[in-house]
Amino acid sequence: MPTAIPLPSNVSPATVANTASLLRIVALLLISGAAIASRLFAVVNFESVIHEFDPWFNYRATRVLASKGFYEFWNWFDPTAWYPLGRVVGGTVYPGLMATSGVIYNILHSLNLPVDIRNICVLLAPGFSALTAWATYMFTKEMKDESAGLLAAAFIGIVPGYISRSVAGSYDNEAIAIFLLMFTFFCWIKALKLGSALFGTVAAVFYFYMVAAWGGYAFITNMIPLHALVLILMGRFTSRLYVAYSSWYAIGTLASMQVPFVGFQPVRTSEHMAALGVFGLLQIIAFAELVRSHVSSQQFKRLLYISVAAIGVLGGLAFVGMTYKGWIAPWTGRFYSLWDTGYAKKYIPIIASVSEHQPTAWPSFFMDLQFLIFLFPAGVVFCFRQLRDEHIFVIVYAVVASYFAGVMVRLMLTLTPVVCVASAVALSSLLDTYIDVREPEVAEEPATDNSTQGAAPTNGTNGSQATTPASATTTTKKAKKPAQPTSALGDLVSLVTSKTGKETVGVFGIDTRLTVILNALGMLVFFVFHCTWVTSSAYSSPSVVLASHGADGSMHIIDDFREAYYWLRQNTPQDAVVMSWWDYGYQIAGMADRPTLVDNNTWNNTHIATVGKAMASSEEVAYPILRKHDVDYVLVIFGGVLGYSGDDINKFLWMVRIAQGVWPDEIQEPNYFTPSGEYRVDERASQTMKDSLMYKMSYYRFAELYGGGPATDRVRNQQVPKVGPTLDYLEEAYTSENWIVRIYQVKKEDPLGRDHKTANSFTHGKKRKRSKPAPRRKAIAG
Amino acid sequence: MMLLSSLVLLLSGVISGTLAKSSTGNTVLVVVETAKQSNYSKFFKGLENKGFDLTFREPKAESPVIIQDDVPSFSHVIVLASDAKNFAKDITPQTLIELTTLKTNLLIALSPKQTPLSSLAAEFSLILPTPGSVLYSYFPERADKPTVVPVNIPQTPITSQKGPVFFSGVPFALGDNPLLVPILNAPVEGFAAESTSAEVLVEAADRGGEGLWAGSRLGLVTGFQTLDGARVTWVGGPEVFSDEYAAKEGPNGVKAANAQFVQDVAAWTFQESLVLRVDKVNHFLANTTTSLEQYTTNDNIEFSAYISAYDAKTGTWAPYSGITDMQLEFTMLDPHIRTALLPVPGVPGKYSKTFRAPDRHGVFKFVINYKRKGYSYLQSSTIVPVVPPRHDGYPRFLSAAWPYYAGAISTSLGFFVFSALWLAGDSRPAKKGKAQKTE
Repeated sequence: MPTAIPLPSNVSPATVANTASLLRIVALLLISGAAIASRLFAVVNFESVIHEFDPWFNYRATRVLASKGFYEFWNWFDPTAWYPLGRVVGGTVYPGLMATSGVIYNILHSLNLPVDIRNICVLLAPGFSALTAWATYMFTKEMKDESAGLLAAAFIGIVPGYISRSVAGSYDNEAIAIFLLMFTFFCWIKALKLGSALFGTVAAVFYFYMVAAWGGYAFITNMIPLHALVLILMGRFTSRLYVAYSSWYAIGTLASMQVPFVGFQPVRTSEHMAALGVFGLLQIIAFAELVRSHVSSQQFKRLLYISVAAIGVLGGLAFVGMTYKGWIAPWTGRFYSLWDTGYAKKYIPIIASVSEHQPTAWPSFFMDLQFLIFLFPAGVVFCFRQLRDEHIFVIVYAVVASYFAGVMVRLMLTLTPVVCVASAVALSSLLDTYIDVREPEVAEEPATDNSTQGAAPTNGTNGSQATTPASATTTTKKAKKPAQPTSALGDLVSLVTSKTGKETVGVFGIDTRLTVILNALGMLVFFVFHCTWVTSSAYSSPSVVLASHGADGSMHIIDDFREAYYWLRQNTPQDAVVMSWWDYGYQIAGMADRPTLVDNNTWNNTHIATVGKAMASSEEVAYPILRKHDVDYVLVIFGGVLGYSGDDINKFLWMVRIAQGVWPDEIQEPNYFTPSGEYRVDERASQTMKDSLMYKMSYYRFAELYGGGPATDRVRNQQVPKVGPTLDYLEEAYTSENWIVRIYQVKKEDPLGRDHKTANSFTHGKKRKRSKPAPRRKAIAG
Repeated sequence: MMLLSSLVLLLSGVISGTLAKSSTGNTVLVVVETAKQSNYSKFFKGLENKGFDLTFREPKAESPVIIQDDVPSFSHVIVLASDAKNFAKDITPQTLIELTTLKTNLLIALSPKQTPLSSLAAEFSLILPTPGSVLYSYFPERADKPTVVPVNIPQTPITSQKGPVFFSGVPFALGDNPLLVPILNAPVEGFAAESTSAEVLVEAADRGGEGLWAGSRLGLVTGFQTLDGARVTWVGGPEVFSDEYAAKEGPNGVKAANAQFVQDVAAWTFQESLVLRVDKVNHFLANTTTSLEQYTTNDNIEFSAYISAYDAKTGTWAPYSGITDMQLEFTMLDPHIRTALLPVPGVPGKYSKTFRAPDRHGVFKFVINYKRKGYSYLQSSTIVPVVPPRHDGYPRFLSAAWPYYAGAISTSLGFFVFSALWLAGDSRPAKKGKAQKTE
C-alpha cells in the first residue's frame, strides 16, 4: 500500500495506542488551560469583581450559604428585597450554583486553604468551562471518535458564544449549567447506546443537578423526550431506549421535585408534560411489543395497534381537558414568547424589556461562532449519513436549538455546544480524509477527479466520497467503520502493521493534502484570533466597572457604580430603602447592602409597575407612592454626561409601558412622545415627559454643568433646556463623578403639614397667595 | 441634643428646686421692645418663678442670634414685638420655621398691621383678615372699648381655670390643617372689621353676614404642634399678656383670668403640660420573654409599649396609663391588623396587646400613631419580618394525605412481594423461568 509520506515501521501498536492516549490527555489539559486562560481577560483588564446584575445576587446568596450553612440558606427569607413584600429566597432560587461554590469553599477551608468566597465565585465559571470542554469531548466521542472529540472540546473551550456567559466574574447559573447540559446528554447517549440503567441513572442525577442549577433545565426535559419520540416514530423502538428513558425519567423527575423552587411543577405544568407523555407512550409500546411477541394472530395485532392509538388519543384529550380544567398549569408567557416573538411585547412588557430576550441579530451568529456556523450544517449532514440513534439526537438538537437561538439572544448559549459538536465532526472528517497517509491504488482516473473536486474545505460531501467507496471495498476493517467508529489512529496502526489495506479512492500526493490541511489550519488559527479578540474586547467587561479609551490608547476606568453604591453603604442608615429601576436591585443589595423595592428577580409585576408609575408620574403623584413604600432614596442612572447609552432615560419607555399595563388610565405611553411621535428630551419634549420624576431626576442641574453654554445630552444628542427642572419633593443627595449614578433623598413630610411645593416656595421667599377661609353654609338672611 | 436638654434640665433642677420647668429646656428668648418690656412684667415674672431663664432682645438687635451653627440658641422663643415692621436679619419667617424643625417652641403675638409675622401665619394655616382688622364685640355690655373683649375660657386640657380673658387684637380663621390646636376662640358675637363705621356694618348686614369675619370659629389663641413635636402658639394680640389686662375686672365684677391663662398657654407651648412620650416598645412571641428577630406567619405576638407623661411639678417623667383610645397597627403597605392597644391594669405606663400574625409573609411594621389635639404625638414604628414556616416547621403527617401514604406503602409492599416471588421463582423448573425472563 502506497503512502504519501514514509512511515516508520518499527513502532508497535501498543506504543502508538499509548502515545495517542497520552497525547489526548495532554491535549485535553491544554484545552482546559486555554479555556480557563481566555476567560481571565476580565480579571486582568479590570479586577477580580463580580459582573453585571444577576451574579451579584448569586454572590450575595453564596455568602449567606457559606456563612450560615445550607439549612439557613434553605430557609432564608430576605426582608431587604422587594420591600416590603420580602422574598422567600430559599424557595425561589435555583441553589445549584451556590451549593457548588459552598461545597468548594468548605473543601478548601477544610484543607486549610483560606480562599475568599468572592474569588471562588469569580473563578467558578472558568473552572467549569474546563469541565464543559471535557464533557463535550466525551459527547462528541460518542458521535464520531476521539479526534472529533478533541476538536469539539477545543471549540467549546474558546468559542465566544459560550465565553459570553462564563468569563471570570460572570457568576451566573449558566456558568455550570452548560457543563451539566453536555454531561447529561452524554450520559443519555451512553445509556441509550448500551441500554444501561446505570447510565440512565447517572443521567438522572446530573439532570437533577441541572434542575437545581438553572431554569433552562426545561431544555433537557424536552430534548430527551423529543429524541425518544423521534426514535419511536422512526420505528427504532428498542428495549435499550425503554430502559434508558424509563430510568432517566423516573429517577430524574422524582429527584427534580426535591428542589423547592420546582416542587410539583414536573407533574403540574405543560412544559413538563411532553416528558410524561413520552414516558407513558413508551410503556404502552413496550406493552404492545410484549404482547406482540407472544401473540401471532395478524388481526389481534391490528386490534392492538388500534387500541394503542386510541390510548394515545385519549391521553392527549385528557391532557387538554386537564389543562382546560386548570389541573395542569397552562403554558407561561415566557414560553409563548418563544413561539411568537411579538407576544411578549404585546402582553408582558417586563419580559420584552430584557435585552437578552430580544431576537438575535444575524451578525451575532458570526460574532459568537465565527467559521463554526459554516461547518455546522456540514456536521449535521454527516450525522444524516450515519444516522445512528445518537446522530438523530444531534440532528434534533441542532434543529431545535437553531430555532431558539434565533428567537432569543440568550438561547445562543444552548446552540453553541451543538454547533461545536457538529462542526468538530465535519472538520475532523475533513482532516481524517486528508491526513490519512494512504494513497489509493493507481490507474483509476475518476477517483482522482472526485477527490480534487472535494477539496473545498466546507464541502460536507468530502468524507462521503472518501468513505462510501471504502466501505464498498472488501477490507473488513473499513466495512465495520459506519457501525463502530474506530479512531483514525487505529486505522493508521493497522495500516502500519499490516499494510494490507487496498484503497481505490483517496488522495494522491502531499501537495493536495497540504493545501487542504493548511487551509483548514489557517481557519482554525483565525478562529483562535477571532475568539481571543471578541473575548477581550466584547465579553470581558464587568459592566459594573466601565472603561474608556483615550486617543492615545490609554485606558480610563469609570467606576461610578461602585462609587455611588459605596456612598450609599457608608452614608445612609442600614434600613434606608432605595428605589431604583429593577435592573440595579441586585447590585444595590449586593454592593450597597440596602433594602430595595424591586430587583432582577422580576417575580411581582405589580410592584415593578408601581416603581414604573412613580418614575413616570409627576412629583405630586409619585410622592405618596414613595412614602407608602418607605422609600428614603431614589437612584437613577444617567448617561447624558458621558454618553453611556444604557441609562434610565433610554429604559424609560419600558417603565412607562409596564406601568401602563397596570394603570392604563393614569399612564399612557403616547403622552411621553412629542406630537410628531418622537422621543425627545430637549425643549420639544412633551409636558408629561418634562414633569416625570425620571426626567427631572436625570436632568436636575444638568444645564449648570455647562455654565450657560448649550447643555448637550451625549447619549441622545439633544440640547436640553437651559432652565432645568426643579425638584420639590426630593433633594439631590449624591451624584457620582461622571454623573452616571444620581441619588436623591425623599423628603419627610413637611412638619407643618404643607405640601412640599408650597413649603419650598416659602423657603425660597416667594409670597403665597392670600387664602380665604373655606366657605361654610350661608347665613340665613333674616 | 437629648443629652444637652437633659443636662439643662438637671442644672435648672438644681437652681430652681421644686419649681415647674419645661421638658425641653429652660432658656427663653423674648423678642420685645425694651420700652414695652415693663408692660408684661407679671407674665415674665411668672415664667421666671417657674424656673425659666429669660433673655431679652430688641427686635432689631443683632444678638443674641436665635440659631448659631445650625443649633438653636434657646429652647423657646417669645415674639411679643408684634408692631415691629421688620426684625434683625436673623429673625425671618424662614428662620422661625427652621427653629420649629429644630424642636424650638414659639409663642408669637400678632398685630393688626402687616408684618413679616403675618406671612408666617399663613404657613401655619392661619388665615388673617385684611390688614387693620381687629376683633370687635359689643356683648356683654361694658365700659371698655368694643375692641377689648372678655372671652370665656373653654374647657380644654390646656387651660384649667374659669373666668373671662380680656383680649384685644386680630382674630383669624383656621384652615383645615389637622395640626392646629384651638385654645381660645372668639365669642359668638365677635367679628373682625377694619372699622365699625355704619356703612361697613349695614353693608355686611345687607348681605346676611356673608363676607363678615364673625363668630366662634375665629381663633384668638391657637396652638400648633408640628409633626416633629415642636409647639407654636399664635396669639391675636400681645395685650393678653399685659399687666393691665391681668388686673382688669370683668363685666360682672369677676376678676380677669389673664394672668393664669397666659401661664397655662406658656406651659403648654413650652412643653410643660400634656407632654407624652413612648419610652420603649417591645414584642415577644406570646408567653415568652425573648424578643425574636423575625416571626413566622400565624404566630401569636405580644406587643407592648411603655408610655410616660412629663410631670412639670417634679420635672420627671412618670409612667402614664391614662390613654384609652390608642390603636396598634400591624402594617405591610396597608394595615393587616388594626386593634386597640389598651393599658395593662396593674402595670403603670404599659400598654399591651396579643394578636395573631396574618397568614402572609413580608416585612411588617408595628405602628403606633396617636395624635390627639393638645397632646404630644405618640409615634412609633418597629420593623419586623414575618416569614413562612421553616422547612421542618410544617406538619409532617397529614390525615388528608392518607391515600398517598397508602399508595406508597402498597407499592413498596408490592415491590417486596414481587422481588420475593421473582427470586423464589428462580428455583422453579427452568421452563417457567425462561418464560418469565423474556419479559
